[in-house]
Amino acid sequence: MSAPILSISGLRVKMGAQEILHGLDLACGKGEIVAVLGANGAGKTTLMRTISGVYRAGAGAIRFEGEDIANARSHDIVRKGLLQAPEGRQIFSNMTVRENLVLGGGALRGAEMDRVLELFPQLRDRLSQIAGSLSGGEQQMLCIGRALMQRPRMLLLDEPSLGLAPKIVQLIFNLVTRIREQGVSILIVEQNARAALKVADHAAVMEGGRIGLSGRASELASDPRVVELYLGGHA
Amino acid sequence: MDFYLQQLAIGLSVGMTYALIAIGFTLIFGVLNVVNFAHGEVYTIGAFAGLLVVTTFAPPLLAVLLAVLAVGAFVGVGLERLAFRPFRRFSDEASLKSRAMRESTLMSSLALSIIAREALEIAFGSRFQSVPVAAMINQPIALGPVTITNGDLIILGVAALMLIGLQYVLRHTQVGLSIRAVSNNPLGAKYVGVDVDRTIVWTFAVGSMLGAVAGVLVGFYYGAIFANMGFTPGVKAFVAMVMGGLSSIPGAVVCALLLGVCESLSTAFVSSVWSDMVAYGFLIVTLIFFPRGIFGGARERV
Repeated sequence: MSAPILSISGLRVKMGAQEILHGLDLACGKGEIVAVLGANGAGKTTLMRTISGVYRAGAGAIRFEGEDIANARSHDIVRKGLLQAPEGRQIFSNMTVRENLVLGGGALRGAEMDRVLELFPQLRDRLSQIAGSLSGGEQQMLCIGRALMQRPRMLLLDEPSLGLAPKIVQLIFNLVTRIREQGVSILIVEQNARAALKVADHAAVMEGGRIGLSGRASELASDPRVVELYLGGHA
Repeated sequence: MDFYLQQLAIGLSVGMTYALIAIGFTLIFGVLNVVNFAHGEVYTIGAFAGLLVVTTFAPPLLAVLLAVLAVGAFVGVGLERLAFRPFRRFSDEASLKSRAMRESTLMSSLALSIIAREALEIAFGSRFQSVPVAAMINQPIALGPVTITNGDLIILGVAALMLIGLQYVLRHTQVGLSIRAVSNNPLGAKYVGVDVDRTIVWTFAVGSMLGAVAGVLVGFYYGAIFANMGFTPGVKAFVAMVMGGLSSIPGAVVCALLLGVCESLSTAFVSSVWSDMVAYGFLIVTLIFFPRGIFGGARERV
């Protein structure tokens, strides 16, 4: 693995009295796509929200480009170039597509808008449409596009394929590869293990708030345990 | 007929002041899901600030309005700091808009409003403070058969300008877009890097600027300024907000105008003392027949 852009060590996160992450270690190399797989309730979204500063880390370190960002405020984390397309998309449903993108853009807006629309030509015709009226796939594109507006150095994707038709899932994963080609490192949490392992360089499997297995995505894709649990028994 | 036209004109200008106040309620409700019970006092403080400026410097009205805008922003920021921020220990959406937050800030803003009112009474006494005649905006203007005052026109004009300005801010500035974003989806706002705490402060500043200007306009229109003056218009604006669907600005403005006009026209049929009942009647009808507000069906916010 190349020098990590994001490295997490000993991360513990509590929700109320219950600990969700019990000392989690994970690293993502510069320019890589790392996939985190795992069943519902394994703590994947908790991990993603903690990285972005939405949840508080109880203990451990989250280093982004060498700097500890654990418990930094979410808007400061965004400013450092660590963006997330969160679970459930969290777009601004009663604002227009353009307004959603501009909000993502901060000071950059105009310059970035064209670059983002090049990746998502579907959104170009819908700029003045209310975001809540987009289809699920378009909303996911808007969500990723909104994050790209800030020129991220790293992008976190939480369940980008959730609830989308297989054709759209394929489209989204193609985009993920294209975004990486632009030099953005990507950490992706996915239930669709097959699609995620296909695009990822490295992968890790989360079980009960820790990383169970990890390794090269191609190796994990043929690991019998992964095959049985996440790929439906036939690799 | 002339009487009705005249009352219509007066009702529109009164309704505009309700609208300015109601927008403050609406903006804050949109962002935090709370009712700011100290909003009526922001209106009162705006009026007193205008009075102080006029009696000390006697500047033109425009300068008074600018000074009051600044005071309003300052009061809004202070209000947020004293009555709202201390209760906001977590800023995820669940706690930001939780019931506990709503109830505790309801009490704290109510407490602050009582403190502000009493402080004004101690400082200025409980009697009406009269506005210098030169500063009042009640010169009669005859428009055909109707006689209105320049105050009616000034209130209409200033309020309309501020509404247009607000729409511009909400649609084309980073602050305004952030306010709408937090109102629409506070969690999403965090992911795009909106500073939610700062946006909440801005919301209070903007809402209080509108409320304070309404206070000084009405104070100079009637020529009387007193510590309790914010209560009645505060209640009416609150009614307009509820009628408009709690978090819809256009809804609140339309309902505020409707309320002002109906009140004003009602004096044709009942003594003006009873015209206050119009607002309460509207509130009851709204709550029974349109529990989500007349314009609240779509649940659009800000």
